[in-house]
Amino acid sequence: MSSRRLFLKASAAAGGLAAFAAGFSETATRAVHTWIGEKKTKGVNGRSLEPEFTVAPDGKVSLNPNQQVSYTMCLGCTTLCGVRVRVDKASGTVVRVSGNPYSPLSADPHLPYGTPVRKSFQSVSFYEEKGLAGRSTACGRGNAVLEQMTSPFRITQPLKRVGPRNSGKWAPISFEQLVQEVVEGGNLFGEGPVEGLRALRDVINPIDADKPELGAKVNQVALLSSVNDGRENFVRRFMQQSYGTINMVGHGAYCGGSYRAGSGAVFGDTRQMPHAKPDIENAEFIVFIGTAPANAGNPFKRQGTLLAKARTEGKLNYVVVDPVLTHADNAVAADRSRWVPIKPGTDGALAMAMIRWIIENERYDAKFLTQPNLAVAEAAGEASWCNATHLVVAEPDHARQGFFLRGSDMGVPVAEADKYKDADPFVVLDEAGKPVLHSKATGPAPLYVSQSIEVAGASMAVRSSMDILREAAMKLSLEEYSQACGIPVEIITGLAREFTSHGKKAAIATHGGTMAGNGFANAFALVSLNTLIGNLNWKGGTVINAGGFKEEEGPRYALKDFPGAIEKPSGMPLGRNQPYEKTTEFKRKKEAGKPYPAEQPWFSTAPQLATEWLPSALSGYPYNLKALILWNTNPVYGIPGLRKVAERTLGDPKVIPLVIAIDPFINETTAYADYIIPDAFMYESWGFAAPWAGVPTKSYITRWPVVEPRMTKTADGQPAGMESFFIAAAKAMGLPGFGDNVIKDADGQLYPLNRAEDYYLRAAANVAWAGKGPVPDASDDDIMVSGIERIMPDLKSTLKDEEVRKVAFMLARGGRFQPANEAFQGEIATWKFIKPLQVYNEAHATAKDSLSGKRFAGTPGWVPPRFADGTPMRKVYPETEWPLQLISYKSPLQNSYSIAASRLRGLHPDNPVAINPVDADRLGIRTGDVIRISTPSGSAKAVAVLRHGVRAGVLAVEHGFGHKEHGARAHQLGDKAQPTVPGIAAGINLNDLGLRDPTRKDDAVWVDPVAGTAVRQGLPAKVEKV
Amino acid sequence: MTHSRRDILKGIGTITAGAAAIVATTAAEAANPRQGGDPDRRWGMVVDVRKCIGCQACTISCIMENKVPENSYRTIVATYEVKDGDRVGTYVLPRLCNHCSNPPCVPVCPVGATFQQKDGAVVVDGDRCVGCAYCVQACPYDARFINHETNTADKCTFCAHRLAAGLLPACVETCVGGARTFGDLNDPNSTARKLLDAAKGEAKVLKPEQGTAPNVFYIGLDDRFQGRVEGHQTLWQPSKTHG
Amino acid sequence: MNSSITEILYVTREIAWLPWAVQYFFLIGLSVGCFLLSLPGLALGRAEWMKPGRLALIGALTCGLVAPVALLADLHQPGRFLNFYLHPQATSWMSWGAFFIPLYLAGLLVYAWAALYRCAGGTAVKAAALVTGLGAALVMLYTGVEVMVVAARPLWHSPFVPLQFAATALAGSIGLVLVFNRILGGGDPGAEVALNRTLARTLAAVLAIGVLWMLLALSGFSNTHSQALAQVASSPSWQLTAVWAVTATLVPLVLAWKRPAGTGVLTGLIAIHSAWMFRWTIFIGGQDIPKTGAGFYDYHLPLGPEGLLGIVGTAGLWLAVLILLTSVLPRSNPAKGV
Ligand SMILES: Nc1nc2c(c(=O)[nH]1)N[C@H]1C(S)=C(S)[C@@H](COP(=O)(O)OP(=O)(O)OC[C@H]3O[C@@H](n4cnc5c(=O)[nH]c(N)nc54)[C@H](O)[C@@H]3O)O[C@H]1N2
Ligand SMILES: Nc1nc2c(c(=O)[nH]1)N[C@H]1C(S)=C(S)[C@@H](COP(=O)(O)OP(=O)(O)OC[C@H]3O[C@@H](n4cnc5c(=O)[nH]c(N)nc54)[C@H](O)[C@@H]3O)O[C@H]1N2
Ligand code: SF4
Ligand code: SF4
Ligand code: SF4
Ligand code: SF4
Ligand code: SF4
Ligand SMILES: [Mo]
Repeated sequence: MSSRRLFLKASAAAGGLAAFAAGFSETATRAVHTWIGEKKTKGVNGRSLEPEFTVAPDGKVSLNPNQQVSYTMCLGCTTLCGVRVRVDKASGTVVRVSGNPYSPLSADPHLPYGTPVRKSFQSVSFYEEKGLAGRSTACGRGNAVLEQMTSPFRITQPLKRVGPRNSGKWAPISFEQLVQEVVEGGNLFGEGPVEGLRALRDVINPIDADKPELGAKVNQVALLSSVNDGRENFVRRFMQQSYGTINMVGHGAYCGGSYRAGSGAVFGDTRQMPHAKPDIENAEFIVFIGTAPANAGNPFKRQGTLLAKARTEGKLNYVVVDPVLTHADNAVAADRSRWVPIKPGTDGALAMAMIRWIIENERYDAKFLTQPNLAVAEAAGEASWCNATHLVVAEPDHARQGFFLRGSDMGVPVAEADKYKDADPFVVLDEAGKPVLHSKATGPAPLYVSQSIEVAGASMAVRSSMDILREAAMKLSLEEYSQACGIPVEIITGLAREFTSHGKKAAIATHGGTMAGNGFANAFALVSLNTLIGNLNWKGGTVINAGGFKEEEGPRYALKDFPGAIEKPSGMPLGRNQPYEKTTEFKRKKEAGKPYPAEQPWFSTAPQLATEWLPSALSGYPYNLKALILWNTNPVYGIPGLRKVAERTLGDPKVIPLVIAIDPFINETTAYADYIIPDAFMYESWGFAAPWAGVPTKSYITRWPVVEPRMTKTADGQPAGMESFFIAAAKAMGLPGFGDNVIKDADGQLYPLNRAEDYYLRAAANVAWAGKGPVPDASDDDIMVSGIERIMPDLKSTLKDEEVRKVAFMLARGGRFQPANEAFQGEIATWKFIKPLQVYNEAHATAKDSLSGKRFAGTPGWVPPRFADGTPMRKVYPETEWPLQLISYKSPLQNSYSIAASRLRGLHPDNPVAINPVDADRLGIRTGDVIRISTPSGSAKAVAVLRHGVRAGVLAVEHGFGHKEHGARAHQLGDKAQPTVPGIAAGINLNDLGLRDPTRKDDAVWVDPVAGTAVRQGLPAKVEKV
Repeated sequence: MTHSRRDILKGIGTITAGAAAIVATTAAEAANPRQGGDPDRRWGMVVDVRKCIGCQACTISCIMENKVPENSYRTIVATYEVKDGDRVGTYVLPRLCNHCSNPPCVPVCPVGATFQQKDGAVVVDGDRCVGCAYCVQACPYDARFINHETNTADKCTFCAHRLAAGLLPACVETCVGGARTFGDLNDPNSTARKLLDAAKGEAKVLKPEQGTAPNVFYIGLDDRFQGRVEGHQTLWQPSKTHG
Repeated sequence: MNSSITEILYVTREIAWLPWAVQYFFLIGLSVGCFLLSLPGLALGRAEWMKPGRLALIGALTCGLVAPVALLADLHQPGRFLNFYLHPQATSWMSWGAFFIPLYLAGLLVYAWAALYRCAGGTAVKAAALVTGLGAALVMLYTGVEVMVVAARPLWHSPFVPLQFAATALAGSIGLVLVFNRILGGGDPGAEVALNRTLARTLAAVLAIGVLWMLLALSGFSNTHSQALAQVASSPSWQLTAVWAVTATLVPLVLAWKRPAGTGVLTGLIAIHSAWMFRWTIFIGGQDIPKTGAGFYDYHLPLGPEGLLGIVGTAGLWLAVLILLTSVLPRSNPAKGV
């Protein structure tokens, strides 16, 4: 053989062997691991966790010494369930989450409160199959979010931006440096001087001497938060009672604010906005219009559990009216559950049609509606009452036109201060047709009144509330309503008939679906349907949340009052949720002869509005912001259309000079911060909260650090976080309420507030003593098995001896809970709403639209979605140009900040946009195609999925995807770069397509003109295939 | 029309390839005697599909409890949209190992690593498994997978480790809709048995024609979902999409 | 009623038998096929098959030696292969296979030694051939039946599968010998014609089995076959595969039959390719059909050991073994007729 040939052969052979070696490398490594590597399995149990405890055949519970089982609170969504977490003691990590059997948010029915903790472990076990009957659960998200505790995107050290805002570059700094800089200000970024919190706390000098109603300069420092995660009172203590700004608000205006506002109109309080929920367990018929229990909804799990049970074992039939099909439906429970698609933003038309049909066919509960006061209502066997029979002044041009006729109008002596207030009674007609004070009425009053009566010697046209509602309902025919909402007349009348066929055991429920350009009106109409059957406070009807316990107001410690506290911060809130008529601007313009329109809309009946904050800060109307604190909130991700405003406000230090974020992660909003203060993850923090809604028994969920917080420590040994920041800042500025001798007990003794425990443990003591008196003492065993042992030294050093075991009793059980069987007394709810329901809402009827100067309507009515100046949306953006409408529905798996939990992503990595095959055919779109969605304010690429479960004309976007932060972008923290995880950015966020209101002069996002709430339902859109 | 009876090819198969298949199943019992577990029990699950809300609490809790690697699932709730005429509805189907009484995954195992316990649970001895994945192929339900962290076959164990501790399987314990009921099917008083009895033949199993005799029963199982689902495929394929 | 189902949430199952398995089944099939091809010449001493017989033996040896390596690599716990022998299972064809492979390979080595160093057609060779033949038959049987018994996959659960494996393996091995004939055997035209003729017959058999399968599936006579067809019929990629397979059988068949001389390398390569493709389609394509989900998974060949590198690695090993063997084996043994 020639040597050349030999060489060629040898090289070929060598090459072959090299390829082999490469291909076989993994096999070889694995083989070697088998022989010398660590053992990865344990027989048939693989790598499964060790059980947390063992329940012997005789029921005896033995703990696993390697694990700690504790009851605390989940923040995987705003439901704030009581959960049971398993901590691996060696690593200090939470390895699994399941339900707290004591908590009604997690178990149905929940365990009697007195049950020893050890016994509660038995109750969730296989012993006597107790765990099946007493199942206590955590949802998919609640199971998955534990990942986030050790996430590489977690912020554990204070950060200061380097480079411009939102550049993604940060320098880790010490906690003390951070406090010093934000308090004292200075040339912090080499961009010129920045005023610090100390300088900005001016509680004396007005923002604008010409407009004293705006209040003092301190109002230019504001704090935006999310949901009350159980720590809001602490924050409020700093921001409002101590620092003194009026501006502190949560996410209500972009959560389900429109529903709450509409409900507030019915319940007669548009600021606190009481609301009731269907008693799913006992109802016979429920229409969910714009809320999707079991898909989302609050309480998520509780509603899901009850719905599943009621449609399977109970008597419930239900209909889900929604542009998109969700998990609220179940095809197998076919005769029980039905989906009715509706055009977005038209629920008011459906509701008014139902109201019309019910009135025309007299299917309402006349017995209920005709009771003029609570006493006669109760005597008649009702559980609530309403103002349907109350008379409204209808005399044209009368000064009181639109107001209720009152006792004082009739000559009844009423103190001047009480005139036209609660103490001034209403007037109804008696059986004889004679006016009588509602409070004096002894029986039912006529429902429909439209006549003149003699008032103070003159004839006055009056109408009953119900009469006005009837007129509003009759404005359109059933066919016209049907045309508007796209639901056939037969279905509308069918819904109305069924709804009025079950006595009190029927209900209408709504929520996020009302976040449209007419959300308030829609919600008002929907909630009014419940009034027509008088189902409030009834088993099987609608019931209010029993609520929790007040932790701030004694009986052990006064946490709200402290020496030097500012009782009520004053001035005009940044979101203009006050009557325009109170402003200097109004007075001046009135003097000039043209009081309306206001410069920008005012929302006279609304609570504080986060939706308007950044637009206000941008336009300086009513005033500018000097500093903004973002605490666990993400409006840029959550408010449709806000990103563009944020870029010009949060993005520009000249507009908002100081932005401080407090959050365990960097989100789409906090990415703009100057400073980030790390915050505790859910299993590491304190917090006490009542359920948001839907729990008929008093419940109070406690959260305590079941593991050591992972943030860096302050110089005095506290975890750097929200509490330590406010304490340190307050002390640095010498503000009241923090430091030594600031918490007063019942005997007037003073205690310090130097650490989170000083506050929360005393709050816990208050709760332990609240209600029907103190809870029992925790046993040694309770303390041991619940993991409370870990924090016992804190309890002992902070609390009085007699308090220690009571607080331990509560924390060991994850809260304080009223027994499940106390929800109802007979057929009537224990916790009742007893003020009159408003068929006609006087406050609303007599408030004026700040732009048109026209009054609002006192009863619900159908109004198409519209912009601030009243222009219908479709007039500006007609169907011919924007043939589709975008809507948002919550992901059944994700929430707005769970995207980095890899296991949720693995299951459902993306949110293709649902389009009806009819539309898709027309546009030549097929499942999997990339499409471009455009609205008048933006466009984005998305993937399409054809679904019959979305109404034609609608594009449905699942919320929770399309992140730009939370791990979608790798930030640089000093010399450490976060990892890049492309999956976190998957999909789209509808809010990036949100609309600017084209009728407004400022750069504001589209909000409901009455409630000021964000509009995410029914955005005009068009689509093309890319 | 029963599938197996019409499959005359089984006969031909015998001629061409010997009595392989048939011998295999009948010999299974003899060659793979049941080991471990309480012989008086027969663990099983009853899934009431009407109660399932598709929340995947079961899926995720199973993952956490059993350290199931990414992109693998011992259980998952398949979610569908069904259109029948004008009516469109949501259909959810919790899937997991059926712990078949006649498990085709067992006889194929070349090393006897997978076997059925006396209580009916079909398990894998992770210390013996060679990771050949033959059982993965043989399971008609896609209930098995190769765990890339242990490099062995993995599947639902009915949470044997929890049962041994007197606890419920993770997915059952945390089932939000209360759709999953686990218990001893031999015990006339068990909730699972009682549910089955009450369902009076309405309870169905997946792919009955495979003759596997599953012990996961469904109440409210639509025939169209019993076998391989004929429908439009979901868009995402997690093993490939995103990191 | 107009009804339809859309999967909203479900997941892809990854394939569990990797390209390694394709390589194993391919190589072991070729080895057995080559062994059979070597018999007329080496065991029975038929002169015209003597030269191809030697080439076939090289094919049998190289493929046979490399195949178990691929098999080992398809195990996720290769280090535990001893368990096959410590815990044999009567019910598992794979378990039997673990015994058949060494039987066959040991036989093959003895047979090769006898044929190359003793006398072709002699008693020793004949005896060795007998034992090896038994091993080969068992290997053929087990590899086919192992797949056939998987009732969970209609496409696999067919009694035709063992026959198809055998027929395509034989065709592939003829192809290999045809190629060897050109590169190692100097392009003997007689051998080429003989091999091509055999190839044509084999391909005809492959085709016949395919037609039978199709008839059965279409007739609805056999459920598994109908189901298998139904599962793939609507898929464009499967349609393409089918056309491809038929073409890749028909073209070499016609060529080998009509122009047996001079086309050997082409027909040979196509035949090898078909044998490989058949296994790829059965294993990888088969695993791409969800057992419970809708539609198809869509497999993308990974570049690492789990995929391409595995395929290339086995090919590399085979090449190395081929070079080694052809270097150390006596080039020919004229004295003994080889
Ligand atoms: N298109 C569209 N927009 C929507 C919605 C929708 O359905 N569709 N939903 C709306 C609704 S209902 C709401 S409520 C809002 C929500 O919007 P927001 O309340 O503004 O924002 P979240 O994203 O919930 O912010 C919560 C913050 O908590 C932080 N966080 C997460 N886990 C923990 C923890 O364990 N501890 C602490 N301390 N912090 C934590 C996160 O980093 C995040 O910054 O969005 C609204 N926006
Ligand atoms: N899984 C999950 N659960 C959650 C959350 C989560 O993020 N994920 N978040 C929690 C929070 S903060 C909240 S506020 C609640 C919200 O709970 P919900 O209010 O029940 O949920 P949303 O998805 O906001 O809106 C409800 C439904 O309204 C529909 N809809 C949209 N437009 C219209 C319309 O014009 N008319 C009608 N009738 N319906 C329409 C949507 O398709 C959606 O299905 O859920 C809580 N629970
Ligand atoms: S419903 Fe929300 S709070 Fe409750 S467990 Fe699930 S994620 Fe956590
Ligand atoms: S479901 Fe599959 S893995 Fe489970 S026992 Fe049956 S065949 Fe085996
Ligand atoms: S993967 Fe393991 S359990 Fe499955 S057949 Fe192979 S050896 Fe047996
Ligand atoms: S029983 Fe255990 S292993 Fe099986 S699916 Fe449920 S949680 Fe997973
Ligand atoms: S936990 Fe229960 S209700 Fe939720 S998806 Fe699983 S089976 Fe269904
Ligand atoms: Mo919300």
